[in-house]
Amino acid sequence: MASNLAVAIVNGIVWGLIMALIALGLNLIFGLLHIINMAHGALYMLGAVAAWYFIELTGNYWLALAAAPILVGGIGLALERGLLRTIEDKPLVTIICTFGIMLALQQLVLMYFGGTARRIALPVAARFPLFDLQYPAMRVIIAAISVVVMGGLWLFLNKTRYGLWMRGVVQDREMAVALGIPVHKVYMWTFVLGSFLAAFSGVLAAPIVSVDFMMGREILIMAFIIVIVGGLGTLWGSVVTAVMISLIQGVGSIFVVPSTATVFSLGFMILVLLVRPQGLLRAPCSRTRERGPGSSWRSAASSRRWPRSPSSRTFSTRPS
Amino acid sequence: MLILKDVDCFYGKGQVLNGTSLEVGEGELVGLVGRNGVGKTTTLKAVMGLIPAKNGSVRFCGRNIAELPPYQVPRMGISYVPQGRHLFPKLTVRENLEIACVEGKADSARMEEIFGYFPRVKERLTQKAGTLSGGEQQMVAIGRALIASPRLILLDEPTEGLMPLLVQSIAESVKAINEKGTSILLVEQNLKILKEICRRIYIMEKGAIVYEGTSSEIDAAMDVQERYLSVKV
Repeated sequence: MASNLAVAIVNGIVWGLIMALIALGLNLIFGLLHIINMAHGALYMLGAVAAWYFIELTGNYWLALAAAPILVGGIGLALERGLLRTIEDKPLVTIICTFGIMLALQQLVLMYFGGTARRIALPVAARFPLFDLQYPAMRVIIAAISVVVMGGLWLFLNKTRYGLWMRGVVQDREMAVALGIPVHKVYMWTFVLGSFLAAFSGVLAAPIVSVDFMMGREILIMAFIIVIVGGLGTLWGSVVTAVMISLIQGVGSIFVVPSTATVFSLGFMILVLLVRPQGLLRAPCSRTRERGPGSSWRSAASSRRWPRSPSSRTFSTRPS
Repeated sequence: MLILKDVDCFYGKGQVLNGTSLEVGEGELVGLVGRNGVGKTTTLKAVMGLIPAKNGSVRFCGRNIAELPPYQVPRMGISYVPQGRHLFPKLTVRENLEIACVEGKADSARMEEIFGYFPRVKERLTQKAGTLSGGEQQMVAIGRALIASPRLILLDEPTEGLMPLLVQSIAESVKAINEKGTSILLVEQNLKILKEICRRIYIMEKGAIVYEGTSSEIDAAMDVQERYLSVKV
């Protein structure tokens, strides 16, 4: 029992850290571009599939971990420039568009990769004892890599000029333009970064789960739950929530079958939404700063605060 | 330096600017006054390209800036201090200043100059901008506009909602900044302040400039004040 619990907890943390990367990408894209990216799970899947091909070619997992996310980041770049740029500021249209991208990517992978699930061998085969079980060291390495990437993301956002711009654009887009920040470039790189993170976590997850064209579906729903529970636009909240939900599911699945354990995390989400609708780690929406009457600043600000605009309310409260 | 000629601007179908023409010369401090909703803020936004100018032209140093993408306008040497400050509340004061240096690092001499005008800003550097008082926020907002060494600053109601003591000090800083050679277009509701520090004042009504004069000329023209500003004298 103790070893089961220990494994469930370690598994929960490992998986939570992978989910955190996925949710961070989703949350970044939402925070800056106001896009509900339904294709995020497909980009995660594409990362894993691309990694599988890279490993087939070179036999090197680490090479795939570097190359696949860059490739998918490039695809993200093309999607943002070619498609999403043209339908900017239309939340409904972007949801349908990204949903279409998701379907297209899934079908493409089905056509060339096939419908059968494939496995990627653990690149590090070593195991270490955890109570009376042997736990694969690779999972711990995966978790560590995830933490390092999150640290890198933190540094990028807080210590670089581009990161500063991104944080500025999130808070006040029009003012960012008025200061000379090339907002569209910031959007583009944010989408690329989000796609990169999705694919990167896909490659990280690939040795743990099986790689198939549908693997992004469930991930997408979980990622939305995490982003909403943690607080839209609150990156730190996404990380904490990802680990929490994943722990709840992991520990829950000791007692019930894994698919039923999902109920626990959904229950947790409902609870959080009832008690803290603004998100677990987000300060309640309060308007501390005055805004000019009737100016377009106000509309810019309220469209940034997602739950405030009535047309979009349905999406923020009903994620799945 | 800055020349607006017959500019029209629309919010959707509503026309806000209706043939606005004005001019700010090199090193000038020009005031723009008018009742609420006559298009003062829109005029500034049209210059910044935040609202497209439908007709007419906006020229800065001989170049038509209305056709530039909006983020290029500040890079031409125009800074904007919007009404209500619009600092980035979750960034520190230092970050709020640094973010405005879009083409290179913050120049420390420039920083010192800003601290010279507003010593309070230096004390608050590591604090989140959202936690500052209104007056301090205004100082940071003007500092943020100064840091890119602009040739022209557009100031939108810098004294709005400040206590009288601060109003005076902000007005003096604005004058001092102008005396160092930066041109300023100052939008204000407070005619008294404008008359104190501006050489030339425009009065706006229904999206167009209806009067232009020096402060002493405006003082003499009681009927103009009555008609366009409803100032009791």
